Amino acid sequence: MPTASEPALSVRQVLGLERVLAGEPEVVAGASQLDRPVRWVHVAEAADVGVMLSGGEMVLTTGVLLAGDVEAQAEYIRSLHRAEAAAVVLGLGRAFPATPDVMRRAAERCGLPMVVLHRPFPFAELTEEVQSRLVQRKFAAVSLSEAVRTALTGLITAGAPLQRLLDEVAGHSACPVVVTNLAHRVLATAGERSAVDDVLRDWERIARQAGGSEGDGWVRAELGGRGERWGRIVLCGYRGDGATGRLLADRAAEALVLHRMLGGPAPSWEEQSAQGLLTDLVSGVVPARQLLPRARAAGLPVNRRTFVPLVVRDGEPAQLDRVLRLLGMPGLVAELADGATAVLLSLARDQDAEALATHFATRWRTESGEHKTVVAAADPRTVWDDVPAGLREAQHVADAVATTPTELDLPVVVRLRDVHLRGLIRLLRDDPHVQSFAERELDGLLCGDGTAEQELLPVLRTYLATGRNKSRTAQLHHVSRPALYRRLEAIEARLGVDLDDFEQAASVHIALLAHDAQQG
Amino acid sequence: MSRVVRAAVFQTAWTGDKESMIQVHEQAARDAAAQGAQVLCFQELFYGPYFCQVQDKAFYEYAEQIPEGPIVRRFQALAKELGIVLVLPMYEEEQPGVLYNTAAVIDADGSYLGKYRKTHIPQVEGFWEKFYFRPGNSGWPVFDTAVGKIGVYICYDRHFPEGWRALGLAGAEIVFNPSATSRGLSGYLWQLEQPASAVANEYFVGAINRVGVEELGSNDFYGTSYFVDPEAQFVGEVASDKETELVVRDLDMAKLREVRDRWQFYRDRAPGAYEPLTAP
Repeated sequence: MPTASEPALSVRQVLGLERVLAGEPEVVAGASQLDRPVRWVHVAEAADVGVMLSGGEMVLTTGVLLAGDVEAQAEYIRSLHRAEAAAVVLGLGRAFPATPDVMRRAAERCGLPMVVLHRPFPFAELTEEVQSRLVQRKFAAVSLSEAVRTALTGLITAGAPLQRLLDEVAGHSACPVVVTNLAHRVLATAGERSAVDDVLRDWERIARQAGGSEGDGWVRAELGGRGERWGRIVLCGYRGDGATGRLLADRAAEALVLHRMLGGPAPSWEEQSAQGLLTDLVSGVVPARQLLPRARAAGLPVNRRTFVPLVVRDGEPAQLDRVLRLLGMPGLVAELADGATAVLLSLARDQDAEALATHFATRWRTESGEHKTVVAAADPRTVWDDVPAGLREAQHVADAVATTPTELDLPVVVRLRDVHLRGLIRLLRDDPHVQSFAERELDGLLCGDGTAEQELLPVLRTYLATGRNKSRTAQLHHVSRPALYRRLEAIEARLGVDLDDFEQAASVHIALLAHDAQQG
Repeated sequence: MSRVVRAAVFQTAWTGDKESMIQVHEQAARDAAAQGAQVLCFQELFYGPYFCQVQDKAFYEYAEQIPEGPIVRRFQALAKELGIVLVLPMYEEEQPGVLYNTAAVIDADGSYLGKYRKTHIPQVEGFWEKFYFRPGNSGWPVFDTAVGKIGVYICYDRHFPEGWRALGLAGAEIVFNPSATSRGLSGYLWQLEQPASAVANEYFVGAINRVGVEELGSNDFYGTSYFVDPEAQFVGEVASDKETELVVRDLDMAKLREVRDRWQFYRDRAPGAYEPLTAP
């Protein structure tokens, strides 16, 4: 039989050709098999034609050598069936004025389409027409295959990302293209947005349907190499003919495998998928509601869940993902544009979100060995539409934490309420009024020879952050109390303030927070 | 209000020694409990390597008495502390020279409920189990735990439909299938047999497989542990094929009744006609 990637006409298509119609064809057996591909058309009068066939042929005959021999007629049909011929066409005439019943019954029994021509014509006309159509199709397939291969190879060698490759495939297929891992988790998609969303909406059900027939235009190709399968690419609802769809899927699969093999230590496709989703959520460019199908398809449980947005600075996404798996917590992990890593936990409604966030953060500290690092969290969100605001809140908390002196004890999970004034200042850091206020208040320390900035600023920072606790400040800076007093006096002199006065100290503190927020 | 059981399975790689392997599993129990899991099943022969890749009597040392041995005792205390039902697939020594591939079941109050001994013992390349285990003689116990009726069917058992059915007849609502199975050998069966058994017997199945390649052989254990419901749908994602992972899923027991009301397999089975199946 011809392979699926070899373009062919079906028996039905051949019978529909104008030249054939003129011969008044009648299907007398095997009517349910007319969609069989015809690889070639072969004229044969020999009784032992079966041995000359290699499968997929439409055999044309007048039956001149079979007339009168009932056993030979039945055997002729059976041998065609054994040779996997696509169909047999019998021209009625001198040998057989009417359909031979023995042949018809034999063909029906083995499911071989048998067609009689009531007005036979020279077979050469038919072979010429079908052959030239087949050759044309083959040529078209080869050139499409070449064009797609060249385009994809060009993209790969230019270092294009996965998405670019898929866009190219979708351009040829004119239908949604989806790449999944073996667990049916969607890693990437391409195609018209609304069509892709339609496909993803019910992805879980569609993807798991066993077998996956290609009759409905779903063309799948496995992704794998070195003896291991790791995913598949699916053309969802390809409208062209099956062979071309298969060819496109196969070319795409080859390119994707190559892309992955050459990818080196780049982020995995799973990471890239989560990254695209979380980045879109944070940016707010796409409404959260529209991202729901993607989130679901990426494996995040979204029905009746509590979402906990977390942001970790200096967190390795792969390591955070590993900790999620260790703990059995569903969630997405991705590095955001600013280098921080976002983690979006999806918890059941009855679970204690705060306790589990702490459990996660504590375990991550242990696993990573980063005993000082904190995890910034937003308040849990029970509505998906609120998740973007939650992620931004966690980002904001992480930013605020970044300027907190590391000597100070922070909880493992830091929330908005833990960053107090620091959080507010962080939000206002780009305001010109705040900037000029900070400059004005700290002028005496900032406009110096540099030594003040290096020596006195850190002391001031600690002194204010510890609530003006002199012994703690001295301890943290490893200086004696008298030495600390001298430095505090120097600071007061340069700034022209009395740090024992609460309002003046508060003003300097706010200015310092604003200054630090600018640096961060 | 339907009953939802938060159930867990844990897959991991051999750490290299028994004590650290036990500790990894203790931590997993704590992690599962933190998430509110009510029942947790470990992988086959959970605290050891999969030593059946070789035939070496040194590994007989991994066997201990159930429930008198130290590991059961240790996990009974943990189950009680955490209020979680634990299924512990272990190597059991009934008496010297009488060894079984067994799973002990501990209730959420720490009490020992009983054990299941693996019935079907393979003997093929990389899975030389007859060297280590007698075929089980425990029958098909179903344990009435704090979270529901639980059965265990160990690894190679899963290829035989009869035991699945016996557990269903005994009332099992969740059957755990702790395994150690390797890529290439059973990959095409792993997501076929347990879902099919869940459908045929109309209960939930939790399938567990270890991960990684161990020093004793080339078996590449491919994890991908999962829960599957009585309609053959995976509950949530299937776990990683390479990494340690705790799988915690909510199993809605209403599904069991819904499916059994739709398909009356237990009513329509014909035990009178099955005599040839039990002929020796």
